[in-house]
Amino acid sequence: MATSDEHGRGRVRSAAVAPANWTERLSEQGFAYVLLVPTLLLVSTMALWPLVSTFEMSLRADALFSAAYVGEFVGFENYVELLTGERNAILGSPFLDFGQPFQSALTVTLIYVAIAVTLETAIGFGQALVLDQSFRGRRWVRVAILIPWAVPIAIQGLIFWLFFQPGIGVGTDVMQSLGVFSANPLINTTDTLIIVIVADVWKTSAFMALLILAGLQSVDRSLYEVARVAGASKVQQFRYITFPLVLPALLVALLFRTIQSMRVYGIIETTGGCSTLPSLTCLVVSTFRSGRYATSAAVAFITAGIVALVALVYIVKFADLEVGT
Amino acid sequence: MSHDSPPETASDPGRSSSRRRFVKAVGVAGAVGLAGCQDGAGPGAGTGTGDGTGGDGGGGGGGPVEMAMPSNVTDRAEDTRQALYDAGLSEDVEVSFLSTSEISGDVEAQYRSWLNAGRETPDVFRMDSGWTIPFIVRDQLVNLSERLSQEALSMLDEHYFEAPLESARAPAQAVGGGGADTDTGTGGGGPRGELYGVPWQVGFPTIQYRSDLVTDAGFDPEGESWATEPMTWQRFSEVVSETHGNADVEYGFNWQGTDYVGLSCCTFNEFMSTWGGAYFGGRDTLFGPVGERPVTVNEEPVHQALRMVRTLIHGSDDEQALDGYQQISPNAVLEWTEGPSLSPFTNGNAVALRYWPSGIFEAATAFEESGDLSPDDLGTMPIPYAVSEDESEYEGIGGTASALGGWHLTVNPNSQNIDAAVQVIEATMQQSFREFQFSELGYLTGDRRLFDPENVGDVEPWGPHLETLRVAGENAIPRPVTVVWPDQSSQIASRVNAVIAQQQAPEDAMSALAGSLEEIEQSV
Repeated sequence: MATSDEHGRGRVRSAAVAPANWTERLSEQGFAYVLLVPTLLLVSTMALWPLVSTFEMSLRADALFSAAYVGEFVGFENYVELLTGERNAILGSPFLDFGQPFQSALTVTLIYVAIAVTLETAIGFGQALVLDQSFRGRRWVRVAILIPWAVPIAIQGLIFWLFFQPGIGVGTDVMQSLGVFSANPLINTTDTLIIVIVADVWKTSAFMALLILAGLQSVDRSLYEVARVAGASKVQQFRYITFPLVLPALLVALLFRTIQSMRVYGIIETTGGCSTLPSLTCLVVSTFRSGRYATSAAVAFITAGIVALVALVYIVKFADLEVGT
Repeated sequence: MSHDSPPETASDPGRSSSRRRFVKAVGVAGAVGLAGCQDGAGPGAGTGTGDGTGGDGGGGGGGPVEMAMPSNVTDRAEDTRQALYDAGLSEDVEVSFLSTSEISGDVEAQYRSWLNAGRETPDVFRMDSGWTIPFIVRDQLVNLSERLSQEALSMLDEHYFEAPLESARAPAQAVGGGGADTDTGTGGGGPRGELYGVPWQVGFPTIQYRSDLVTDAGFDPEGESWATEPMTWQRFSEVVSETHGNADVEYGFNWQGTDYVGLSCCTFNEFMSTWGGAYFGGRDTLFGPVGERPVTVNEEPVHQALRMVRTLIHGSDDEQALDGYQQISPNAVLEWTEGPSLSPFTNGNAVALRYWPSGIFEAATAFEESGDLSPDDLGTMPIPYAVSEDESEYEGIGGTASALGGWHLTVNPNSQNIDAAVQVIEATMQQSFREFQFSELGYLTGDRRLFDPENVGDVEPWGPHLETLRVAGENAIPRPVTVVWPDQSSQIASRVNAVIAQQQAPEDAMSALAGSLEEIEQSV
C-alpha cells in the first residue's frame, strides 16, 4: 500500500513529466520557438522595454523645473519641433538645415558616414587582398594592420587631438603649409570633419579588412585556376570571381560599419568637440546633459529610425543577393 | 542509441528522449540556479553595504553621515574625520565618505540620478557652484536657512565672500517650492535668498605672471601694487607686450578661448564684465527669473570686449581692432582649455597666464623644480578691467572681475539623518577645520579670514598670493546659472569663439546670440 509520501512523490513526478510530454507533441518548428522563449524574454527585457520606455519619454515635455525626468504628455511635439528647426536654439546645432550642411547634425553625420565608410571599405579591401596572399612576414603585416583597431577611442582621439594641438603637434603646421587647413583646425568644422574621418579610417579599415578577408578565404581557389586556363586577366578574375563571391561578406561588413558610423560620437568629442562638429549622437548627449530628457529621447529615436532605414537598404540588398543565388 | 546522438527526424524516438531530458535538465539547472541565488543571499549577504554608510548608526543627534567627496578627501578620510571631530562635531556622528568622479559634469549627472530616485544617501553632497541652483529650483536640497544655527548663518554673512553664497541661494525663479515640507524642513525652492549650500571650496582666477621678466623689462610690480590694485586691460597689454619683447619666451599672455563651457562661464564672462557688459543685465538678474530678465549680449560693452579680445590675439591688423591695445596672445588660445594654456607658463615659456588658483600651486612647484626659476618669480594680480563699476550701466558690473568657481556642501532631503548632516556642515565652517582644509587638503575656502596672511601664516606657496586672491574673491562674478544655462552656455561659447577666431563680426554674432538666448529663455 502506497504511503502518503509515495503519493506526494508521484504527484510531483507527474507534474514534472507533464511539460516534458507536452514537448513531444510539438512540431520541429514549435519546439524551436519554445527554446527561443527564454532568449526572447531576455531580449524583451533588456532591449525592447528600454526602447518602448524611451519612445514613451520622447512623447513628453522636458521637465527642467521638477525632480521628475519628464513632464506632461505632448504627443509628437518634440519630433515636429526638432524636424522643423524650432528646437535649434536648444540643440546648439540644428538637427537638419540644408543651408548649413556642416553645422547640421544629420547632414554632418551622413557626410561623415558616406566618406568614412567608402574609404574604409576601399582601404580594407586592399588590405584584405594583401593579407590573402602568401608571403614571408604575413603574420607581422596582419599585426601591423590590426594594431589601430585595438586602440581605444579615447586614445585614438587623444593622438589626433595632440597632433593638431597648437604648440604640441606638428599636424596643423604641415597641413597649413599644404594649404589644406586653417590656423585652428580643431575649431573649424570642415577641418575637424577631415581629422575625424582620417582618424576613423586609420582605426577602422582593419575591421573591414578582417571581415572581407574572411570572405576572400572562403573563395574556392580552383575557380582562379579555371579562369587562368580560360585566359582571364587579373581584373577579370576580380570582377567575375572575387567580387561576386565576397559581396555577401562585404555587405555584412558595410552594414556593421555603417550602423557604427551613424552613431559616431567618441572620436568627435575627443578631438574637435561636438560644438565644432555636431553629429546625431552629439545632440542626444548634449540634450541629455542639459536635463532635457524628453528631447534627448526624441533625438535618439529619430537617430535610431535613420539608422534602421540605412540598415534596411543593406538588408534588402542582401536578400536580393540570396534570392539571386 | 545514445541519447546524445542528434535527432534525425521528428518521429525519431531518440530525439523524443533527448527533448524530454533537455527540458528536465533545464528545469533542474534552473532550480539549482535559483537555489544557488538563495544560498548566495544567505550567510554571506549583508556583510557589506557597498555604499559606505558605515555601521549601524546611533540614535539621538548622532548616527551615520555619508559625504560625497573627491578622491583627495576620501584618500585622507581618517584625517578629515578627525579634523571634523576636532572642530567640535559630536563623536556620535559617524562620518563616512563616498568617492565621486573628479569631473564636474559626471558628478552632476550622478547626483541628479540619485536624487530623482529618492536615494537616502549620501547625506551630504559636494556640489559645483556652477550647477547647485538647478537642484534648488527642483526642490532637491534641504533649506539650510531653516536648519543652520543662527551663529553659523551670521558667520556666513559676516565672513564669507558674497559670490559663492549667491550661487547657493534660492533664486527668483524658485519661488513656490511646491514640494516644501515645512514640518521637516526638507523642502527646497523656498523664498528667494534662502540658503541651500555652504561654500566648501572656492576658486577665483587671477593673472599669474613672471615677476622676474616684468622687473627685467623695467616695471615695478611691488611699487605699483599690482597684487591688489587692478590695472586696465590697455596697460596690461602694454606691460605684457613690452616684457615679451624683452624676454626669451615663446608666449605672451595665455588664456582659455576654445569653444567650451569654460569660455562662456568664465573667461569671456570676465572679459565682458570688466568692460561693463553682461549676459542678462546686472547681478540682480543673474539667476533669473528665466524668461523675464533682459538679454543684454548685443550691447556695446560686449562688442567692445570682443574687439579687445580680437586685438589681443590678432593685433592691429584685425578689422575690429581697438586702438591702444597690443597683440599679446597666441593664436593657439582659440583652441586652448586649461591644461594646454597652463603648461607653457609652468615651463617658464610665457609671460602671463589667466588661471584658477591651482595654477599658482602648479607654477610655484614647477618653478622650484626647474632650478632656473624660483617660486618668488611668480607674481599674481587681479584680472584687469576696462571700465569701472561707476561707468557700467549695470550695478555690480565693471572693474576687475573673476569668474566664480568652487563647490558647496548641500544636504540630501531624503536623508534619514538631516540633523547630523547639518552638524557636519557646521563643523566644516569652524576655523580649525577651514585651516585643515587650507593647509592639509590645499583648498581655498569661502571664509575671507583665511585670505589674510596674518591669520594663516606663511603657507607655501599661497602666502604671497592671498591678498590677490582676496581681491579676486571680493569681485567674483558667478555664471548666470539657471535650468537653461547649459543650453545657453554652449550657444555663447560657439558664438564668442567664432567672433574671436575672426569668423564672425561682433555685432552680427551677438545679434544672433541674443536671438538664441531669448528663444531659450522663452522655451520653459
